[in-house]
Amino acid sequence: MEVFLSVEGLGKYFKDKKVLHDISFEVRTGEIMAVLGPNGAGKTTTIRNIMGIIYPDEGTITFHRFNGKGIPRHKIGYLPEERGLYKNVKVMDILLYLADLKDYPLQKAKERISAYLKKFDLEGKEKVKIEELSKGMAQKVQFIAAVLHEPELLILDEPFSGLDPVSQEIFKEEIRSLARQGTSILLSSHQMNLVEAICDRVFMIQKGQKVVYGTLDDVKTQYANFKCVIKGKNNWDHLKNIPSVRRIEEKPDGAVLYLEKDVQPAKWVKHLPDDLNINEMTIDRISLHEIFIDIATDKKLIGEEVSPDE
Amino acid sequence: MNKTMKVAKWEIKRNLKNKSFLISLFLTPLIFIIFAFIGNLVDGSEDAESLTTVYIHDELGAFPLLEETAKQLELDFDLKKTSVAESEVKDKLKDSEYTAYIFLTKEGLDSGVFPVYTSEEMEPYFEAQIQAFSESIKSVHIGQLGLSEEQLREILKPFVFKQISADELDENGQVHAGDPETEKENLLKKAVPAAFAGIILFSIVITSMMIFTSASQEKKDKIAEIILSSVTTDELMQGKIVGYFVLGMIQALVILVFAIPFVIYQFDIPVLEYLLVPETLLFVFISVLGYLLFAAIFVGIGSTMADISTAGNFQGFIMLLPFLPLFFIGPVIDNPSGLAAQIASYIPFSSPAILIMRLAMLEEWPWLEIAISLAILVISVWLFMKLAGKIFKVGILLYGKNATPQEIWKWIRA
Repeated sequence: MEVFLSVEGLGKYFKDKKVLHDISFEVRTGEIMAVLGPNGAGKTTTIRNIMGIIYPDEGTITFHRFNGKGIPRHKIGYLPEERGLYKNVKVMDILLYLADLKDYPLQKAKERISAYLKKFDLEGKEKVKIEELSKGMAQKVQFIAAVLHEPELLILDEPFSGLDPVSQEIFKEEIRSLARQGTSILLSSHQMNLVEAICDRVFMIQKGQKVVYGTLDDVKTQYANFKCVIKGKNNWDHLKNIPSVRRIEEKPDGAVLYLEKDVQPAKWVKHLPDDLNINEMTIDRISLHEIFIDIATDKKLIGEEVSPDE
Repeated sequence: MNKTMKVAKWEIKRNLKNKSFLISLFLTPLIFIIFAFIGNLVDGSEDAESLTTVYIHDELGAFPLLEETAKQLELDFDLKKTSVAESEVKDKLKDSEYTAYIFLTKEGLDSGVFPVYTSEEMEPYFEAQIQAFSESIKSVHIGQLGLSEEQLREILKPFVFKQISADELDENGQVHAGDPETEKENLLKKAVPAAFAGIILFSIVITSMMIFTSASQEKKDKIAEIILSSVTTDELMQGKIVGYFVLGMIQALVILVFAIPFVIYQFDIPVLEYLLVPETLLFVFISVLGYLLFAAIFVGIGSTMADISTAGNFQGFIMLLPFLPLFFIGPVIDNPSGLAAQIASYIPFSSPAILIMRLAMLEEWPWLEIAISLAILVISVWLFMKLAGKIFKVGILLYGKNATPQEIWKWIRA
């Protein structure tokens, strides 16, 4: 896949404090790349550097098809983390203005606005003022503003925050479909489990530093051990004697067994005692969030207080 | 530049679709005119009230002459003969106002003092006004001495001193013909373009304050980041400045559309004739510079504030800068070429308004001062645009909080 955007050795200071350390990653054409990390990790700062809204103190940002010409603003769609639109303006007016600023033909914009409003269940809201919309509806309008001009690169900062599950699904589906059509997508989120389902590659960040970077599959095979969730009442001692278990987490209706690295699930299952009470059982890799916490803890980027072992 | 114009167009369209802007657009000239009308009404009613009834107890036969004098000097007196005696005056005056009794008696002629009894409520200048009667009494007195008409005229001829300043003399040492009609016309020739410029300055300074709201609103609505994903901060700032300039001109136009017919109808001045002179261009140029200066200041300050109600002293102080000329109006009217006037023309925040005022009042334009003042203004505009650009760039993205002066200073130095 062609590389659309490269970030190399990005560093940024706020006052005397270094908030980004040597951040490097790429976004390729037609992929969904996720920058993941908790609040305050440096995701938005990274994105603002890419957008040229603030300027990096170190490192370079390259848009490969537009080399040497700065930021190709009209080819980028951007949904900032801080959501906002002019309050006392009609939906159609603001969307047309934003499309016009991207030099997108107005007639085409009008058609696309109508189509998107329909898709997002906002049909007939063209002449409604932003302040009369619910928060979720306004967020949909902002999303439309970001994708309206058919950007080649779509940057979404926390696209799912504040959305109800139904709207989250609509957004996810739309993001997937845009990527299939060849749009490069860079999104950030602190809700890792939400993003896990759609992204191709991840860049995990904590305290302005890289935690892990790679394709979702690679990260998972490299770091995600298996966990076995058992529903059904069992004796603690009984569970403790099962081999290759790193730790056990008791739940009201059962237990979660975190397995050691390199465990082969098929083999491991055979070692389960015959008299184990199992109503339901799943074997799964641990989630991105759990991986993030594991690695960040190992790299001393997270204090003991949030460590998963507690 | 293209993006700048798009932003400008948007700001214009957005405001023209906004009801409160439209209302204030038409309310401003209406308020002007309503106040002008009320002013006229109040003036007229005061005139009617100030008519003073003056009763003359005339033992000298001076009444006809006094009547003539009052008419000549356009005194608001209603002169009446009376036979009321001095002892009855107190009762007569008890419940009356704007009333006076003058006793022209033989004793008065001998002592040189005529008693005047007045009601409690009187015109403030009454005592000064009736001094004009002393000449008439004197002529009656002299007439009784049996002198001829010619001798009378010679004796009564007044002597006055007339001041003539050097600039009123022409090359031959002759005084310019000081025809009052042409003097009035000269004044109007300057005053009309100045008033025109004043209206433009007023309108665009008011709209430059709207820039403040616009920038601060952008910060409050958190939309700046979306806009900045399409345009640079410079384009956004310039777009706002251009947009509100046009809105200011629209405001000026609306005021003029109301004001010009009003002035022509009310005062019968051929406004348009006086307006189409080269001076108007200079006045408008000064106004535009004034606008650019305040626009730069307000767009910069607006970008540092999310909420005007929590503004610190620093920002509040800057908001008051456009009102600086008010402090100088008094001294400048007293002496348009005095020191205060000169200083005010060199301070960029007051110079546009003060310069326009002075140029309207001065007969001879001090070209050197104008040039220095304009140079200071142009440099200030350039400087403040630079500063505003730096502040705007950082400030507009600092959502939900007001910047401190220290922070602003840091951005300027960055």
